[in-house]
Amino acid sequence: MGRFLSRRAVRAQEQLFFWAVAATVALAVVLPLAVLTGQLAAGDPAQRHSVLATLATPSLWLLLARSVGLAIAVTALSLTVGVPIGFLLSRTDVPGRRSAFLLHAFPMFLPPFAMALGWFHILGRNGAFGSESTSRFFFGESGLLLVLGATFTPIASTMVALGVRGIDPALEEAARLVAPPGAWKWPLATRIVLPLARPAIALAALVVFTLSFSELGVPMFLRVKAYPAVVFSRLGGIDFQPGEAFALVLPLLAISALVLAGERRWAARRSFSVLGLRSGESPLWELGRARAPATTLCWLAVAVSIAPIASLALRAARGQGFSSLGDWAGAGLVNSLSVSGLAAIAIAILGVVLGHALARGLKGAALVDAVTVLAFVTPAAVLGVGLIATWNRPATDWVYRGRAILVIALVARYTAIGARTIAVAMAQGSPHLEEAAAAFGA
Amino acid sequence: MIKRAPRSCAPIAATLLIPFLLAWLPARAAEKPEVVVYTSVDQVFSEPIFRAFEARWGGTVRAVFDTEETKSTGVLNRLVAESRNPQADVFWSGDPVRPFVLIRRGLVDKYVSPVATSIPASFKATDGSWTGFAGRARVLLVNSRIVKPGEMPRSVRDLAKPLWKGKTAIANPLFGTTTMHVAALFAAWGDETSKKFFEDLKTNEVRIASSNGEVKRLVASGEVAFGLADTDDAHEAFAEHAPIEVVYPDQDGIGSLVMPTAAVLVRGGPHPNEARKLIDYLVSSEVEAKLAQSAAHLPLRPEVKAPIGAPSLGGLKTMSVDYGRVAETMQELQPWLRQWVGF
Repeated sequence: MGRFLSRRAVRAQEQLFFWAVAATVALAVVLPLAVLTGQLAAGDPAQRHSVLATLATPSLWLLLARSVGLAIAVTALSLTVGVPIGFLLSRTDVPGRRSAFLLHAFPMFLPPFAMALGWFHILGRNGAFGSESTSRFFFGESGLLLVLGATFTPIASTMVALGVRGIDPALEEAARLVAPPGAWKWPLATRIVLPLARPAIALAALVVFTLSFSELGVPMFLRVKAYPAVVFSRLGGIDFQPGEAFALVLPLLAISALVLAGERRWAARRSFSVLGLRSGESPLWELGRARAPATTLCWLAVAVSIAPIASLALRAARGQGFSSLGDWAGAGLVNSLSVSGLAAIAIAILGVVLGHALARGLKGAALVDAVTVLAFVTPAAVLGVGLIATWNRPATDWVYRGRAILVIALVARYTAIGARTIAVAMAQGSPHLEEAAAAFGA
Repeated sequence: MIKRAPRSCAPIAATLLIPFLLAWLPARAAEKPEVVVYTSVDQVFSEPIFRAFEARWGGTVRAVFDTEETKSTGVLNRLVAESRNPQADVFWSGDPVRPFVLIRRGLVDKYVSPVATSIPASFKATDGSWTGFAGRARVLLVNSRIVKPGEMPRSVRDLAKPLWKGKTAIANPLFGTTTMHVAALFAAWGDETSKKFFEDLKTNEVRIASSNGEVKRLVASGEVAFGLADTDDAHEAFAEHAPIEVVYPDQDGIGSLVMPTAAVLVRGGPHPNEARKLIDYLVSSEVEAKLAQSAAHLPLRPEVKAPIGAPSLGGLKTMSVDYGRVAETMQELQPWLRQWVGF
């Protein structure tokens, strides 16, 4: 009888936390988007007519299809490079792998536009390795693929590294017993380890696709027409039309649904758990004869990651940029660290509850997850305008005039990543471990 | 049974506490008087002005700048978005036309600064709804390594010359000061001539850059031979030792477009008295002199010295512009411009 009551109490607690998270997501995401919908509905009929006319234009849908195609290409490139790199840097004896990992991952902390600028100083006509032909290559779709691929590959390799580290070594040891002796590495990597890390790879694909699709600055710089620019032109042009901008975001609902469906299908739940009590303790694979080529590949990936940063640093050093760094940084670093730190804590808390609910199939979790993914896909400028319309009121000045509004904005935009990362980790683990912990009062 | 050493909670506790501490500490310092200004004048030029004002006044200037992505209209549209509950006290616009968007929406309070009496009448509103100062001119930035002296462009029309096919650049006309320049050309040339010119630009494969700053980068790096930008972009290019020449276009024709920056008092802002003090400082001859030196802005007051190497306003043929009419044209043109750009 005591165990039955404990299980019910646990379920009630899960529901309570889950609905608290759902309410937070509703406040941060649904409310701003609903306010924008209201603005569109209540606005000038001529504006609604203009929106319908725009949505009926075939060239708009062609542009959307093109942007989706480019995002798929960037994702494919990032995974093709990132998956093997992530595996090699986390599980093998590549020399200097920890340093290589840090250097390779560094671009994740920089805006993609800064990376584009760095590549411009390498491949532009007068760049370090520039010429007429490199310039033609750079300003166009091929350059976009290079810049975004190089910028987002570390996301793929980081997630794969985390996914692979989480695998219980007992599963690998069991597979080695039945593999051909002396020829176990390739089949073990391709048929056991990487498939077990599939949820992490699927999440990496979702994140990279969304970031590359919603990127605005890099396509504009490289003169590639992209769908987000159409949305931005309604917010950044002289005729400010947030309702029309939101209407142009609506086709993204279909994109989010497809992306979610693909990710959920590809990373479907397993009948066995991957995460075990010995996860994180796996010994490194000795590559033997493959060590030299693997090392070359890894350090080449590092070189591609840091090349644009080095070119910017060189220009800054030549132009005395570093000496005026203190003047320009000001309170920016403290502000950014405090806001992003607070947002990260909030996203982690929301992510634990929502991720757990997703992994365990709680009712309503899929819907809340879809809303967070929609916020992730929506261009940031549209979300920002919705947040201003929602929170810029005298009664909520205490939120809008401080750091809280920035924290809310970051939570609205990035909860999807936190929740899905934790969902991936929990899906790899066994529910029986939770039941055992609950039985002991945890 | 495997025993693990208990992990210390200190790193986790520190990770959780540090953001709260960082968020709290600076807030304690915010007890001085403050004024909030939104500006589309480049941060590199406007921020030193704000710091100088703070040093003189003893208060804090909270500034919001535009960015490479949001362009000049970003802060303007933020003011419109916040109009129900204004957060800004002052709008310092990089051109005199964007303030008209706010004026037409009733978002501006009139303030005739006593310091602005020496600014020529054509660069300010008599009712104090906007006050111009420290102008920029639209110029052609020319790469002197690519363009021979005999081929130097002299007019904006040269952007469409077949000789320079694929070798010229302008910033996206939907954003920034290029919007105003396009509207001014439509007002000067008429719709038919202007549309023909823009179609010729397309035929000539003019490169559409994301900003004036990018035009400067493209010209300086030799990606294009010349492009249309502002005088402060030229100033930055010179500071970077780029191989650049500056041409003030159409000196034999309609003249070069001069755009004063403009200070506007936002209606309903939280600190109206402090806002007036800031506007008095911005429109002063002292700030005009500072901007002439740091950003190659053209002083509107004849007694303030022009930047080195730049003509004074009196020595330049300037386009005759009705800023209010240009503001109307700017808004009317948006659907056509979006179609021209391909959005």
